[in-house]
Amino acid sequence: MPLVYDELRRIAARYMGRERPGQTLQATGLVNEAFVRLAAERSREFQNRTHFLAIAALSMRQILVQRARARHAAKRDGGGHQVTLNDISAPPAAVRPEFERPDADRPGDVDVIALDQALSRLAAFDPEQARIVELRYFGGLTVEETAEAVGVSPATVKRQWAMARAWLKQALEGGAE
Amino acid sequence: MNPQRWSQIKGLFNGALERPAEARTAWLRAECGGDAALLADAERLLHSFDTLGGFLDQPAQVDPEDVALAALPEGEPDGAAWGPGDRVGEFEIIRAIGRGGMGVVYLATDRRLRRNVALKSLPASLAGNPELRERLKREARAAATITDPAVATVFSLEEVEGHLLLASEFLDGRTLRTLIDEGPIDVRTAREIALHVARGLRAAHDAGVIHRDLKPENIVVGPGGTAKIVDFGIAWLESPGGTHHTKLTRDGSMIGTPAYMAPEQLVGGVPDARTDIFAFGVILAEMLSGRHPLVAGASAPAVEPPLQRIADRARQPDPTRRFADAHELVAALEGLAGTASVQSGAAVVPGRSARFWWEFHQGAAAVAYAAMLIPAWLARGQIGGLEGRGFFIATAIAALMASMLRLHLWFMSGQHAGELVWARSRSAPFIRLADILLVVSLVVGAGLVAAQSALDVVLLALAVAVTIAFAFIEPSTARAAGLESGSRGRPEEPQPRTPPGPPGLPGL
Repeated sequence: MPLVYDELRRIAARYMGRERPGQTLQATGLVNEAFVRLAAERSREFQNRTHFLAIAALSMRQILVQRARARHAAKRDGGGHQVTLNDISAPPAAVRPEFERPDADRPGDVDVIALDQALSRLAAFDPEQARIVELRYFGGLTVEETAEAVGVSPATVKRQWAMARAWLKQALEGGAE
Repeated sequence: MNPQRWSQIKGLFNGALERPAEARTAWLRAECGGDAALLADAERLLHSFDTLGGFLDQPAQVDPEDVALAALPEGEPDGAAWGPGDRVGEFEIIRAIGRGGMGVVYLATDRRLRRNVALKSLPASLAGNPELRERLKREARAAATITDPAVATVFSLEEVEGHLLLASEFLDGRTLRTLIDEGPIDVRTAREIALHVARGLRAAHDAGVIHRDLKPENIVVGPGGTAKIVDFGIAWLESPGGTHHTKLTRDGSMIGTPAYMAPEQLVGGVPDARTDIFAFGVILAEMLSGRHPLVAGASAPAVEPPLQRIADRARQPDPTRRFADAHELVAALEGLAGTASVQSGAAVVPGRSARFWWEFHQGAAAVAYAAMLIPAWLARGQIGGLEGRGFFIATAIAALMASMLRLHLWFMSGQHAGELVWARSRSAPFIRLADILLVVSLVVGAGLVAAQSALDVVLLALAVAVTIAFAFIEPSTARAAGLESGSRGRPEEPQPRTPPGPPGLPGL
């Protein structure tokens, strides 16, 4: 079902073998690579890039939130599960406690779960701003790509993006109602 | 935060940023008048903006391992857990049959009515949110009014011991997802499933219910080939376009099905009937090729082009270029040659040449009718006076109307084949009227002109020709082209509401 999702996972798995553990990359790179690969398979017909990017951005948001939650859960459970690494049916949360890194370990990182929740609150009264954040932050889209995906002008994207960031920062600091 | 207030703040925020920093405070004060709370909100937001630093400046950093290990959407069931034999209100649990992000689904017996139902236990967090609960009740009530064989019937929404339970028809079949995963579905089956789903959407949309999360997982195909859409009325809870879903599930909250979401839904637009039509198009394309259209490549097997065209039109990125509603969609599917025979089990698929002859007839008739204005004009001169003029006007109106409408159908056949049946049924009464008027006025004209010249023979011959063409030739070409289902009755005739006990579709 989730092809884009699968593609993202496949590409990420390749990176894992190549890079040092703990090495991160930008969502932009991952998303664009997924697009290029899927587009190549689809050759002729594939045309709607922004639609694809929007899907990818949403998938990235899901992935990041889910992983952050799994980490939380793993910490709560204290790694009580006995699961071998070969047991592919085990949920990742059960497999990983031993080599778990702490949350918010890298400077500049935001709390993804809190951001996700704040974003959902924002979506309740300004869905367009929430979408723009999703595309820009989780999908790594440029202002122009975002403008095309949302169907507004780049100037509007910039304005909305500025305000959304300001509000989200306030929300994460616990200051917005 | 309500949207009105937010847009007020937005105006202030944007306005302030356009001004030099030192002029902002004065401007804001003037704009806000005496509304101190508004002023404070705007100023706080501006302060937050000034101190953004690098916040969200760079796209998300991802650890590839995170992405690679992310579990597929399944979600932790948030509903209650019951075992076989447990009694929940008037329901007796038989067994759990599935779980999704929204909770566990059980096969249960409704002891009041002694029927088996699919019982979905919705997250407890829903019960605590009055606004959501109200909306759920509204949607479930609306969904319960949908009576269509292609929609799993929603029986009731009940609150038992603090749990919200949705009881609906129990379906024992396989999801379309399973079928697709086994490879491309043959064209006939795909068409049949598509038709069921389209009719289900039509019934739902007529009842004012939009699905919002239509996907192969939500379509159950019974042993008899009947397809039913499930989760009407509650899919919005899970759909990523919804604004509340994150509050609803502990894990996998964002889980939805972006791959079937229309562009406008992905960018936060308000979903409407056309959103479901988009998802339908993606599903149809996937059925035909066995792969999701985003990855289905040139290697996709050749499929019957009209069905593919319907899929392509349904999933146009621009909503206005899709089918306007499910009625159009159903008409297009029913208009596909052979639909009626698929339903009746026969395998009569009209050839391409049949459609050609029908088109040829339409074109030729249009030209011939227009040409009849020449003898009519001559006859007008012979008859003379008011009668002559009246005859010509009547003939001209009838001939041009008949001609234009046929040219229109000809055009539709070439350009919008999917809507031909619909266009034809709409213009049929007018064509019939024009033809009859033409025959009558030709006969009358022949009578009037008989005294003056031999033109009466010509007019009578034309009247006979028109009669034969519209009474015999046209229906037979239309039937051959699959545009009429002949003695089997009209294709849009509703199917029996409850098929006589299809095996494996209990619940009644």
